[in-house]
Amino acid sequence: MVRRLMSGGSTSDRDQRIERGDRDQSAMSRRGYLRTGAAVGTAAAIGGCLGGSGESGDALTVGYALPFTGTYAMLGESIVNGFEMYLEQNGGEIDGREVETVQRDTEANTNRGIDVTRELLIEEQADVIVGPVSSAVAIAIMDTIESEGSAIWLNANAGDYRVTQEGCLDYHFRTSFNDWQTSAPLAEWVYENVADNVCLAYADYAFGQNSKNFFGEAFEEAGGEIVAEVGAPLGTDDYSTYLSQIESSGADAVFSFFAGSDAVGYVSAFSDYGLDEEMTQTGSGFLLSEDTLPAQGEAALGMYSLLHYTPTQESERNRTFVENYRGAYDSTANVYACQGYDSAQAFAAAVEETGSAEPDELSGALSGMAIDSPRGSFRFNEQTHEAVQNMYVREVVESDGEQPVENQVVETIESVEGPTWDCDLS
Amino acid sequence: MIESIVRATLLGVQSGMILALIAAGLTLIFGMLDVINFAHGALYMLGAYFGSVIAAELGSFWLALLIAPLLVGVVGIAIEVFSLRPLYGRNPLYHILLTFGFAIMIQGAVVQIWGGQARQIAQPALLTGTLSLGVVDYPVYRLFVLAISTALIGGVWLAIDRSNLGIIMRASAHDTEMVDALGIDVSKVFTGVFVFGAVLAGLAGVLLGASRSVNPGMGMGIIIEAFVIVVIGGLGSFRGAVFAALLIGLVTSYGALIAPTLTDLALFGLMAIVLMVKPNGLFGATEAA
Repeated sequence: MVRRLMSGGSTSDRDQRIERGDRDQSAMSRRGYLRTGAAVGTAAAIGGCLGGSGESGDALTVGYALPFTGTYAMLGESIVNGFEMYLEQNGGEIDGREVETVQRDTEANTNRGIDVTRELLIEEQADVIVGPVSSAVAIAIMDTIESEGSAIWLNANAGDYRVTQEGCLDYHFRTSFNDWQTSAPLAEWVYENVADNVCLAYADYAFGQNSKNFFGEAFEEAGGEIVAEVGAPLGTDDYSTYLSQIESSGADAVFSFFAGSDAVGYVSAFSDYGLDEEMTQTGSGFLLSEDTLPAQGEAALGMYSLLHYTPTQESERNRTFVENYRGAYDSTANVYACQGYDSAQAFAAAVEETGSAEPDELSGALSGMAIDSPRGSFRFNEQTHEAVQNMYVREVVESDGEQPVENQVVETIESVEGPTWDCDLS
Repeated sequence: MIESIVRATLLGVQSGMILALIAAGLTLIFGMLDVINFAHGALYMLGAYFGSVIAAELGSFWLALLIAPLLVGVVGIAIEVFSLRPLYGRNPLYHILLTFGFAIMIQGAVVQIWGGQARQIAQPALLTGTLSLGVVDYPVYRLFVLAISTALIGGVWLAIDRSNLGIIMRASAHDTEMVDALGIDVSKVFTGVFVFGAVLAGLAGVLLGASRSVNPGMGMGIIIEAFVIVVIGGLGSFRGAVFAALLIGLVTSYGALIAPTLTDLALFGLMAIVLMVKPNGLFGATEAA
């Protein structure tokens, strides 16, 4: 009896490790599934009463395919907040048409992601899909988006370059970033300002591997040397062993990709072991972002990272955005809120320009379009539909605000054009 | 290379002792109450969250270390008295479903209250920095965790082995009815054991919360390791749990050094081998000692 139970325990552990690959929480998913099931039933009934939309003159339907439960819940919520703040500011209308929003929980799970995308497209007749957060979900829903062909897809967070490389979809527009942008452009800056040799440390899953590969290639191209690579499984509890490998590499700097609770554990241990006195920590922006810095605190001081948006960015546009956001939600804006807000801006601009919600027309309008974002103006690359945007190198400094530390932009790398990965939509 | 090995050994022993704190509660609860407590990981997580709130609000790690485990103990009393007690003597499946339900509820509540982002417990100023141990520099805080968890495990060992309470505990595990007939209130012993396990788990949560991150997934992660330890050590055996915890701690930390992705495999492989050779675990499941 007992032994059978134990083997049951081991299976659920394996499932959990796999789900951690999506940065999900296994224990939440069953409950979340039930809850979403109920929500689907109700929403479908309501949808039936309202009838279909999508034709010109009718209300516009925005479908959020985002995680609202599990570890990613905060990201999904922030994206929705950003999007709805824009709608609120414009009286809930775009081009004189009312806007309805429908939320569906992807749970950062690929199968759920496909189901909810299909529901949003077919049952809700969504004109735009906003989401997802997880890259695995983004890759999984590419087929659905393409085969339905009924809505534009504003990718508000999932940064895997393979969405462009393998998908290269006419209806896909990245209102966020890709993993090349948050790693490779930092290489030259590190080579010129920090060190000519680095150790690469990364969470051993697709996004972490992509990031360290992109950084590594760019760093060697700039003339630098990669002395060691240290991969730690996603969800590692204690980084001690990996840190001693990083230390014994003898590198002058380290480029790291970790996110969420991994980033907290890693950065704290880095400082516990006194490694911050021996080498300079640099990394992709998720290592040191608004959701991890409060927990990392002073351990993060003096570390550098690269991202396309920082709430403390000095610009009139951003200050207004951050103030409005605080007024609306009583919290500090973050990169996800900015991505949600920009998704709304892009959708509205395209609908206004074409006077239509037909995905072909919207895609034509969005291609090459410039968006006046809080992160700084960016445009959609005609070939790849990636955002061509400024990337900011930030340093963690002491803050006089409510949190002990904050990011400060130390250098702006302007209008970064990434690789096209043989995708040409122009 | 020597540095890496020395560090991995220190880490292995340290995480082994912490795992022993968690597994000790799990195995004692099983030994006395015949309950497989799936909520044990959630109690560990609660300890870390209570600790992080207390440390942030009162600004003292030491108060957090003192108060948070006691609060977890209070939660433990509530769980034992109101939900487990009516189910004693029934099919063990009831306990499993119940405690598994608690694990999910507690995790859900934690996400609702504190959100999904990771938190941290600030280390006390007294224990920051590193100490030179000859070949390696090792963080003072981690040495403190090593020392305090070893002392606690030693204390519990002595208490079970030598004290009157320990004798009653072992006796009620062996034959509950006889102990009851001798005029000892067994239900109080049961509550005591469950709460004691909860406090140890909460304590482990605070201690680790200051060197790792505090997040909603931490309970589910650690409970699996704790179960592996309890099975390897022998269900119900305290001594077995301590030895198995050390073993698993070392396997995990050396594993991370040699082949990080295969660590889980090594863990479960070890469990499979032990079960094949000694189906009752290293220290047998027949008596608690």
